[in-house]
Amino acid sequence: MSLSFIHRSAMLCRGFRASLNLYDHTTRIPNTTIWLRTLCSSVGEANTRILQSTEEYKFVERLIPPSRVPIPPKHDGPSPSGWTPPSEVPPALPYMIRRSRMHNVPVYTDLTHGSRKTTLVRKVEGDIWALEKDVKEYLQQLTGKDLPTQVNEVTMTLRVKGHFDTELKKWLVEKGF
Amino acid sequence: MSFTRKPGGKALDILQNLPRISLANLRPEPGTKKAEKKRGRGQHGGNRSGRGHKGERQRGNRPRLGFEGGQTPFYLAIPKYGYNEGHSRRAQYQPLTLNRLQYLIDLGRVDPTQPIDLTQLVNGRGVTIQPQKRDYGVQLVGEGAGIFAAKVNIEVQMASEEAIAAIERNGGMVTTGFYDPRSLAVLCKPVPFFISGQPIPKRMLPGEDMVPYYTDAANRGYLADPEKIQKARIALAQKYGYILPDISKDELFHMLSMIKDPRQIFFGLSPGWVVNMAEKKILKPTDDKLLQYYSS
Repeated sequence: MSLSFIHRSAMLCRGFRASLNLYDHTTRIPNTTIWLRTLCSSVGEANTRILQSTEEYKFVERLIPPSRVPIPPKHDGPSPSGWTPPSEVPPALPYMIRRSRMHNVPVYTDLTHGSRKTTLVRKVEGDIWALEKDVKEYLQQLTGKDLPTQVNEVTMTLRVKGHFDTELKKWLVEKGF
Repeated sequence: MSFTRKPGGKALDILQNLPRISLANLRPEPGTKKAEKKRGRGQHGGNRSGRGHKGERQRGNRPRLGFEGGQTPFYLAIPKYGYNEGHSRRAQYQPLTLNRLQYLIDLGRVDPTQPIDLTQLVNGRGVTIQPQKRDYGVQLVGEGAGIFAAKVNIEVQMASEEAIAAIERNGGMVTTGFYDPRSLAVLCKPVPFFISGQPIPKRMLPGEDMVPYYTDAANRGYLADPEKIQKARIALAQKYGYILPDISKDELFHMLSMIKDPRQIFFGLSPGWVVNMAEKKILKPTDDKLLQYYSS
């Protein structure tokens, strides 16, 4: 039950969805849950009492933003938007690619000097050279070209010349990462 | 499977076995350093040093950019027109595609079992609204209408026809509502507002130019006639060729039909109330004048 003081003005009172009863409030006043607290009134003030209530605080709690990234709900296979969860069992490969904080595949495109296109694969663990070999083989099949790649063993990232983020994301998701 | 990581990997092994790096054993990758072209030297580069023969060109006295030898230049011949006049004062609506909305719902950042509000979208970090930069809210855009498959009750500030059709096709409800800049700031960042201790303001009605938009049932405006909205839903279903699902028989009908009062900013909270977050209480006024003001 919630207490409300919403009175519509005559101008707006046009039988607003009255038939469907769409408002989320009732006009009943609960007596047991409200307790009055009188304020010491200042000079010349008529009515300075305020009502306190903890009933509607649940609406306030809904408005507080969460401070942690929520865990995505279970999906069988790809969801309607195209997002696929990582497979339960990590694939049996010598390398592993973790998901980002927001549960996405960490493949990003970059554009430097206005025309230099590269694709970056981040968050690699394990044998990065095996990943490089597999990526080169896959892109060779796709494009027919031997693309230059750069392995950074300190940051464990792989850079490939050209924009291949959609292809690489799909390929990694198919592998189960 | 956890991989033990050796920082530096094979590169570090190689480096440890090679001699010390110094200027004597470093050289740039062949092809990266191109020799600079030196003007005015040599048999064929010399003589006039690439400046031409006499005149303003050789003497470096060419006129300003845009000068056409006396003919009225292009940039003066074309008349002025106020295409961009007042551009910084125009209302902006951040677009929200149905693709993005579906993505947010799939990842659990926005809850479809509760009415979706601008606050919920901002809390799920789905959109970024800057009320101080003439943003008036969010507009629903029809991109991704083909893949959209969620039943939601969403309230936005503007919506395209395709987006409305896509949502209603899945059994949801769309409403467009106006928020004046102060109410929008309160809606986007409710917690700092509650901490400031001010009473929740009442939402102002739209200005003269936006009243026709919000009173039109085709836009599902919050000031429009409910019967006209029902007719518009049926008409849109006929136009786009889908059967309008009957939401009154839905188990979530109560949630789907929740709509805010034109003067209300938050669901469940009235204007005039003060929220005490420290003690988790809500303070409500009892003075007649205040009640009259806030409920007008």
